[in-house]
Amino acid sequence: MIESTGSQVSPSVLEPWRRTAAASVGLYFHFIRLAFLKFLAYRLRYYTGVVSYTIFVSGHYYLYTALFASRIADSGDATIGGLSLDEMITYVAISWIGRSFYFNNIARDLMRMITEGEIAMQLIKPFHVQTVMMFEAVGESAFRLIMFTLPIMVVIVPLFHIGRPPESILYLWTFISFCLALVIYSQINFLLGCLAFNMKNIQGVLRAKMVSMDFLTGVVVPFTFFPEWFQRAVEWLPFQGISYIPVTIYLGKRPGEELYAALLLQVAWAVGLFIAGRLVWRISVRHVVVQGG
Amino acid sequence: MEPLIKVRNLTKDYRLIKKREGVTGGLVDLIRPRKELLRAVEKVSFDIPAGEMVGYIGANGAGKSTTIKMLTGILTPTAGTVTVGGLVPWKQRLQYTRHIGVVFGQRTQLWWDLAVVESFRLLKKIYEVDDATYDRQMKLFDDLLEVGQYLHQPVRKLSLGQRMRCDLAAALLHRPRVLFLDEPTIGLDVLAKENVRIFLREICEREGVTVILTTHDLGDIEQLCKRVIIIDKGRVHFDGELDNLRRRVGRRVRMTVELRDSATSGELAAITAGLPVTWDEVQGLRHHAEFNRVEVPGAEVIKRLVNECHVLDLHMAEQGIDEVVREIYRQSGREAS
Repeated sequence: MIESTGSQVSPSVLEPWRRTAAASVGLYFHFIRLAFLKFLAYRLRYYTGVVSYTIFVSGHYYLYTALFASRIADSGDATIGGLSLDEMITYVAISWIGRSFYFNNIARDLMRMITEGEIAMQLIKPFHVQTVMMFEAVGESAFRLIMFTLPIMVVIVPLFHIGRPPESILYLWTFISFCLALVIYSQINFLLGCLAFNMKNIQGVLRAKMVSMDFLTGVVVPFTFFPEWFQRAVEWLPFQGISYIPVTIYLGKRPGEELYAALLLQVAWAVGLFIAGRLVWRISVRHVVVQGG
Repeated sequence: MEPLIKVRNLTKDYRLIKKREGVTGGLVDLIRPRKELLRAVEKVSFDIPAGEMVGYIGANGAGKSTTIKMLTGILTPTAGTVTVGGLVPWKQRLQYTRHIGVVFGQRTQLWWDLAVVESFRLLKKIYEVDDATYDRQMKLFDDLLEVGQYLHQPVRKLSLGQRMRCDLAAALLHRPRVLFLDEPTIGLDVLAKENVRIFLREICEREGVTVILTTHDLGDIEQLCKRVIIIDKGRVHFDGELDNLRRRVGRRVRMTVELRDSATSGELAAITAGLPVTWDEVQGLRHHAEFNRVEVPGAEVIKRLVNECHVLDLHMAEQGIDEVVREIYRQSGREAS
């Protein structure tokens, strides 16, 4: 048989293909949009969240008010761990407002995909699952920003007289810092989710994560409350980039160069964790066992 | 000409952890889990030239799906090689998956919470399908599968048959070169099955797609594939033309007859004397017979029965895939010994 020449490709060869950079941007933007739409369909779920976050913050509000009052009565010192009562309340409020934005459940979603075999449907598509999940997380956070974070701010900020940052520009830096927090948070979640390739059920790990993350990120209590060694240790971990860094930026605790150093540290963790996620994924996928079928 | 799909000595082991019994057993398992290897696919080899439709059949747990999952790049084999058009599925996943379409009957690739059309728009982006091709393909799917009417419904609200049609369309939107179908008609009713088959025949002829189809349903194979590969316990037991298979196994049917008046199987055997029909040894109103349609036309058997006795009801069941496989397995065992 005579092979046809010219533009016609041989029937027994699959021609090489690569997505252009522009097409990649378009595709990933599309994932952001779809995730946004998906969460919009379940928006009712988030109205109760506004109530529970407000309860969290008010709990802390009364706790710290009492704590600072007794501190002043005892020693005349109006600060704990370098924070005044007003700063403390702001710290707690901004932490929870931030958490309402960057939060996602990638680890649980990935575990379900693996244990229920849905991962197969992802592996037959020409994209990186990790990148797709990250952009879906961005879409989720965009949804959260509008439908969850803003309503919470509207309730909490006037209710507890939350202070402004010392300079207005810090609003912008805080937001950027929380965006980086979103990347770090999603990549830590992704790495945890990858554990399901070997362990199958990682419910226990996820529960432990839920509790320890809020401590390690500084959402529950500022690091300055903890002993020296703990503060030293968390400096070497990525978790501070999720909450402690953005909140201290908001409070103006990072003057001048320190601000940029903190943001750069977040960028470094975001990139590092993303690369780690890519490597772990590549190794894990070889061990895929698809259930059923 | 070079075959498009080349499979050589493909082998897949699963590692299972075998649990011991009792409390002490459980504790021992914690320290030293007993691992066992299960060979799901063993040294499977075949070639498929471009444009061919091949039925890949076998009983449950025979290794069909495992093979498909290796061919689609989902699973990494323990040993052996696969190349499809020069690409290794599990190594060059990103490049390779651009050229394939996959339908798993038990799962959907559509985004569950969104309207069907959103999934198609996303797939358009994923595969970089240009507008003209997209419009043409969507029109084709609407003509052949009538998917147009479901486009704005969320996937979770579709029936299984509707969802399957949308899934087929989704797998073919980017005009893949190779199409993998894993039980595409599972759970569908007769009409829906027929629709799916007609569509597949039409589109594959039109686009020259190479198809590998696994199924439980011999009807799928008969209507779609010229060539079949039968796998059992991870090994290939038959690879050849469907006609060839039929000659070897035939088309055995089991007939159930309900009579008005009681009769013995001997009497019925006398009626079908001269025909290779075997009757179960019973006496009464209900009788069972087996014969091979290739040897005896069903109509001949029925005609004789109806002429000789009062038949109330009659039912014929085609031999299932499991029995065909068993038959092939029995035969290849006989050859080996």
